Amino acid sequence: MKMLTFNDKTANKIYQLYIKRVKKVSKGLPEEDKDDILMEINSHIYEAMQRVHVKEATEADKLLDILDRFGEPEDVLRPLIAEKKLRQATTTFNPVHIVKALALNVTNGVAYIIFSLLYLFLFTFVFVIGAKILYPKEVGLFFQDGSFYLLGIIDPKYRQKYGVEEVLGNWFIPAMLLVSVVFYVLTTLILRLVKRRRK
Amino acid sequence: MRCRASRYLPHTLHYYVFCYIFASVNEDFVHKWRSQVKKGTLAFIVLNILKTRELYGYELIEQIRSYTAIDVAEGTLYPLLNRLKDEGLVNAKWVEQETGIPRKYYSLNEKGLASLAQMTQFWEELQKSINKLSK
Repeated sequence: MKMLTFNDKTANKIYQLYIKRVKKVSKGLPEEDKDDILMEINSHIYEAMQRVHVKEATEADKLLDILDRFGEPEDVLRPLIAEKKLRQATTTFNPVHIVKALALNVTNGVAYIIFSLLYLFLFTFVFVIGAKILYPKEVGLFFQDGSFYLLGIIDPKYRQKYGVEEVLGNWFIPAMLLVSVVFYVLTTLILRLVKRRRK
Repeated sequence: MRCRASRYLPHTLHYYVFCYIFASVNEDFVHKWRSQVKKGTLAFIVLNILKTRELYGYELIEQIRSYTAIDVAEGTLYPLLNRLKDEGLVNAKWVEQETGIPRKYYSLNEKGLASLAQMTQFWEELQKSINKLSK
């Protein structure tokens, strides 16, 4: 992208600083979106500098006025970036993007809080896999008299006393992995749907 | 309703107190309502302006100002344009300029035109009923 240049040193500094802030705010986005945002702001500043004519205003004054009208990059770009991030997250299935997108969107409604909880719930399946590796005897899917009793950690003494049985055995880890993946894909697909309907 | 000094009313303290309370509440309400209407119609205005020709962001802001006297904030317009693009109502393309600073031109596409037609119809119906009501 061609950067703008100003004769006024102060104006140059103000401009560089603003661009730097824009870059910082849009850091997590795909390259294409980042460039697009930056180029559009750059173009806006350029066009406005050409049009705005104020008597005896220095370049720096004019630029400050234009940027002031545009607003703080952090505030202006937030909704735009939140939306782009969400689209990226639901199309790539990348957990890092999902966490970031939810963090950006959590203020946009109850739905995103629910999604955060769903992903957190999903994390419990991943957690029991780790726990199973560390405590193979205590962790599992437990049934009592043929009906579901508990998924998680249980004291072996208690288990014997109440006749609680572990039912998955060696299948526990693969089963939990499968549940996690299915749950993850499902939640992300629903998130994509909700996102589409809300726009 | 303004608290202007009136020749016909005695300017007691009560008058000013009551007037101030009621006037400020009313004006505040109308002010909020106006900004809600502006916010709600901005997409409609933008689509209408883009119907005539393709424009880049800064030009569009100028046009909105000249047509509607709405001083639209850049921070509102650009996210809106992005949303209209995501919804598939407008197309956007970068056009290189001699200055080396390309412009991003927005234009209404088929879907945008069709959507605008529906919006216009709704707008006209609403206007008719309001006219009838406020007669």
